[in-house]
Amino acid sequence: MKRILCLSALIVFAAAVFTPKLDAKAMRIVSLAPSTTEILFALGLDEEIVGVSQFCDYPSKALLKSRVGTMSEPNIELISALKPDIVFCTGLEQAPVVAKMKRLNMNVFVSDPASIAELLGSIRQMGDITGRGKEAAALTERMLDEIESVQADVRLVPYTKRPKVFFEIWHNPLMTVGPGSIIDDLITIAGGINIAHDLGSQYGNFSPEELIRRNPDYIFMGYMYKTRATPLFENRMGWKDVSAVRNNRIYNDIDPDILLRPGPRIIEALKEVHARLYER
Amino acid sequence: MRGGIARKTILLITLFVLAIIWGVLSGSVSMTAGELVRAENRQILNLRLARTFLAILAGGGLAVLGATLQALLRNPLAEPYLLGTSNGAGLGAVIAVILGLSSVLLPVAAFIGTLVSIVLVYFISKHGNKLSAHSLILAGVIVSIAFSGLMIFLISICGDEAFNGVLWWLWGSLQVYDFRLLLIVSVIVFAGVGVIFIFSQDLNAISLGEEEAIHLGINTEFLKVLLFLITSLVTGSLVCICGIIGFVGLVIPHMARIVVGPNHRSLLPASWLAGAVFMIFCDVLSRTLFSPMEIPIGVMTAVTGAPVFIALLKRRERVS
Amino acid sequence: MNGLPIFKMVDVNGGYLKTPVIKGISLEINSGDFVGIIGPNGSGKSTLLRIMSRVLDPWSGSIVFDGCRIDSISIKGFCRKVAFVSQDISGYLPFTALEAALMGRIPHLRRLNTETKKDIAIAEGALHLTGALEFKDKRMDELSAGEQQRVIIAKALAQQPALLFLDEPTSHLDIGHQIQVMDLLKKLNGRSGLTIVMVLHDLNLASEYCRNIILLNEGKVFKEGKPEDVLTYQNIESVYNTVVVVRNNPISSKPYVMAVPGDSTCRNK
Repeated sequence: MKRILCLSALIVFAAAVFTPKLDAKAMRIVSLAPSTTEILFALGLDEEIVGVSQFCDYPSKALLKSRVGTMSEPNIELISALKPDIVFCTGLEQAPVVAKMKRLNMNVFVSDPASIAELLGSIRQMGDITGRGKEAAALTERMLDEIESVQADVRLVPYTKRPKVFFEIWHNPLMTVGPGSIIDDLITIAGGINIAHDLGSQYGNFSPEELIRRNPDYIFMGYMYKTRATPLFENRMGWKDVSAVRNNRIYNDIDPDILLRPGPRIIEALKEVHARLYER
Repeated sequence: MRGGIARKTILLITLFVLAIIWGVLSGSVSMTAGELVRAENRQILNLRLARTFLAILAGGGLAVLGATLQALLRNPLAEPYLLGTSNGAGLGAVIAVILGLSSVLLPVAAFIGTLVSIVLVYFISKHGNKLSAHSLILAGVIVSIAFSGLMIFLISICGDEAFNGVLWWLWGSLQVYDFRLLLIVSVIVFAGVGVIFIFSQDLNAISLGEEEAIHLGINTEFLKVLLFLITSLVTGSLVCICGIIGFVGLVIPHMARIVVGPNHRSLLPASWLAGAVFMIFCDVLSRTLFSPMEIPIGVMTAVTGAPVFIALLKRRERVS
Repeated sequence: MNGLPIFKMVDVNGGYLKTPVIKGISLEINSGDFVGIIGPNGSGKSTLLRIMSRVLDPWSGSIVFDGCRIDSISIKGFCRKVAFVSQDISGYLPFTALEAALMGRIPHLRRLNTETKKDIAIAEGALHLTGALEFKDKRMDELSAGEQQRVIIAKALAQQPALLFLDEPTSHLDIGHQIQVMDLLKKLNGRSGLTIVMVLHDLNLASEYCRNIILLNEGKVFKEGKPEDVLTYQNIESVYNTVVVVRNNPISSKPYVMAVPGDSTCRNK
């Protein structure tokens, strides 16, 4: 009997020590990216968030939180002064920062989804860690519902009739997204074909010549939100006969904040893109 | 006089012509010459012609500017971006992006930045009514560092768009969207290089040393101001259209010197041709190696040029 | 134009920063003269030469060259008649000897003109005069110091000057080459009436070859005249602050200055 008790105690002890699950009540959270901040707020966390990055601006409650630096240059001093139980950030440019924080024995969770499915998984993980598993499940359910309704719409269209899409991150050098990036996934789910499907990396410079050859029907801009986009493309040497330019299907009216942030609002972006691609 | 300069120049011209043909025929979209001239491919042909033309302008221009500054400042490490114009242009571009200006105005903002840096460098380095090579270099470095510090600061507080807005400047880009801009820059470059060529003899003299140049009847103060202004304006206008493309302005003149010697009458044309060929070569590689992805031209020039230059240096050491 | 003043300075002051290095110097150089400028370190010899060759502008005083105020002549026009042999030849190293000599034709060439056959002939002629023609196609950095010096003198001669300035042309040459260079200058001075003004360190070379010597001290002319008048032990002792003995060269009868080491017995007189 004693042995069983000891063993159980040991197991409980081990579980308590080695599980990344944290005590939700006393938890202090720092979020270093606008996307993770949005996810955390959507999970119902508010008081627990003690610090955010400079660019975290949604929801508006995030603006009230103390700033701990920019995405690429977070202030490690400020962060450790806040004594966080866990720090959330993204991959890419935050990698060296992640290494630094781990050396200081901070708990770091990296959220770097390469697809919308991975994003949903990431949200669920974040829910588990923060003790908001139920909220995470509900959120991902809602997101999945929206995704499925878009997919149902798209399924009826044969692959060969799907519109060709180019997502322009920047004009000079011409930058776009490739396979392995969440936007590429978004385009596919929305029913488009990313003409940069063979880019070879998540983000990269794309050959303008290739764009002319591949002749996209739609161009979405991830910058210059709601400024006049057509003059930008009209004067581009060689782009005159591109289908998207000729038919004026160039869109810069989707807020880059919902397009480029792998968070809950990306579903809105998905619906916006889908609506434009299939003009209903 | 010096063995076979005429022969070597003809060789360079031939290389130049071949490079142009290669540049126009190559691209991420592979097609034969016959296919290229068909009407449906007209846009691609235009794109490649413009691109190759800009490569010639930038490669030839930067090489000639590098040779000029190396003579003027009597420093083998001198190169076009030494006197601060490139960072002035970059700062102008960042400010324009942050202010949300239309991208058509970006090169204009960059050029204004260039002009500001020219004025600053001139007044910092002027002593009395004389300009010394030494103080020009110091002033250029100071202005460069100050402007790049400002740029980094602005980018860090303004986020991604500001950063993307200077990638073309940071790594260089031979992409041409605006034909008018290309035309304006080409006029500036050809005029500037033309004037520099007219002053070949003066460059020979001033490369001997400033006192020596005076002994040979050169009005050195006038020459210094003139060449400083021309090199800065031409460098600035090139940066406004294609950003910073390193290595070319520093190393191509040295390579040309090894081939045709130090007389600027032959060194300047040789630098132009060699720089243009090198740039076209790098541009073709950047467009075709990982198609459809393009490697930034600044990366290509550095990676390609360094081993070639080391090989030439080693060969020269063995000979002497 | 023999014997007429070609260069005249009256009360010239000049320097680099605030303190004057040249204080109120007046001198006259006649056509066909062979003048040596001597003086201790810091006496202003190089500065004087810089002002005379227009590398440095004087602060005050008048300088007249060939009858005209020097600042009214264009630098190019000036250099068609005045040439300079300097010590610093590092800039010439990548060029061949012939290319270096051809630099001397620059004052005579318009910007866009290349050198004509006549210019090449003049440059080669100058190289021949200085005994450097045999290595005309060799690069300067492949030549010895003496050979390089001869090429630089050829460059100056290619300018076809009426007046030649030299700044310590023999300081890094061995005695054989020193005599060679000085003999050449003497020949040019005698044969074609080339006026020569040179700054020298070596008092005895100055004595042997220069018909006129200007002894500078602390930015002023201490003594000027023939070698016998200037190179006396009193003058040298008061300017150089060291004990010397002056005798006559047994061959040429020119004054010969001999150093007296500090620990010799005759110093204690």
